[in-house]
Amino acid sequence: MILNIACLALLTIGVVIFFGAVIGVLRFPDFYSRMHAAGISDTMSTISLLTAFALFQLHDLSWPNLLVVGKIFFIVAFISLTGPTSTHALMHAGYQRRNRPPVRKQEPDEDMT
Amino acid sequence: MKTLGAIAVIITGALLLYASEDFPAWGDPHSPASQYRVSQHYILKTFEETSVPNMVTAILADYRGYDTLFETVVIFTAGIAIIAILRGPIDKRVRLRLASEKKLRESNLILAQTCRLLVPIIQLFALYVIAHGHHSPGGGFQGGVIFGGSLILLAISFQLQTALDRVSEKKAILLAGVGVLIYSGIGLVCLLLGGNFLDYSILHNLLQVDPITARSHGILGVEIGVAFTVASIMFAIYANLSSRGRMKGGL
Repeated sequence: MILNIACLALLTIGVVIFFGAVIGVLRFPDFYSRMHAAGISDTMSTISLLTAFALFQLHDLSWPNLLVVGKIFFIVAFISLTGPTSTHALMHAGYQRRNRPPVRKQEPDEDMT
Repeated sequence: MKTLGAIAVIITGALLLYASEDFPAWGDPHSPASQYRVSQHYILKTFEETSVPNMVTAILADYRGYDTLFETVVIFTAGIAIIAILRGPIDKRVRLRLASEKKLRESNLILAQTCRLLVPIIQLFALYVIAHGHHSPGGGFQGGVIFGGSLILLAISFQLQTALDRVSEKKAILLAGVGVLIYSGIGLVCLLLGGNFLDYSILHNLLQVDPITARSHGILGVEIGVAFTVASIMFAIYANLSSRGRMKGGL
């Protein structure tokens, strides 16, 4: 019972964060803020969804189920490494191409070209 | 125009949904596909005849061994064709770009360290997928693609040259040929021992096991051949496409 509630809570958190990521990607004005929305919430929501799956597997404790839980946590470790790195790589590539983020006109900025 | 497109999509979708009702239910034992005698033979006898729990692997590499052999040859031929079209002489101007790129890459410590950590894990997983094709989804094609992908990751996160230092162009093409050679060589050994081409059960004298286990081992050998070809052709195609056939610079 408690396990089910925990699963549902984690699933809800994951889906809500994913929804935020979708809105961010669709509505934010430029590349960097879109990547910010997608990069941060994608990793977080995937981890919370996968943790919910792992918890759901713990309903009956047996070796095959524990093996599945272990595999899920391998995926979690993999995603928590690759997600931020790929976001960083995209941002870095964009910055290297001198595609600087747009700045409001009131603030003076010599870096803008 | 937009509404016209929407109407067309809705009508086609409705037709598809309407037609999907006529499909047999998923896993229905009375559907035509399950009742035909060949598929019944596969479903009932695969484990008895080959001792491979994963039916798909047994059908792919044993019952339909010819098909898979020529699929591997198709991948090999496609890779060779792409290399033959793209590969050109090394341009001296590229060296200039390389120098500026080196400065660019050195600054990206995070990417390099993450890839240093991940590439061995990915390659180990690829070997697991190849070797575990008998028991779970996987096999030579999937494992080979994962292995090739790990080399491509190395080329993206460092430079193309870093990956080419590990697996040179010559080595990649050689390994692709070796893969096809392993596959057809196993078939030829079967032929030489007096069986049919790709009839692995005849290998039991050579491997000192019973004929059923010999089929299972034959499938593993064939999968390894497929993996060699797929992995090296994947990498060779990437190396040619990303450097416009010059094998220098890269993305």
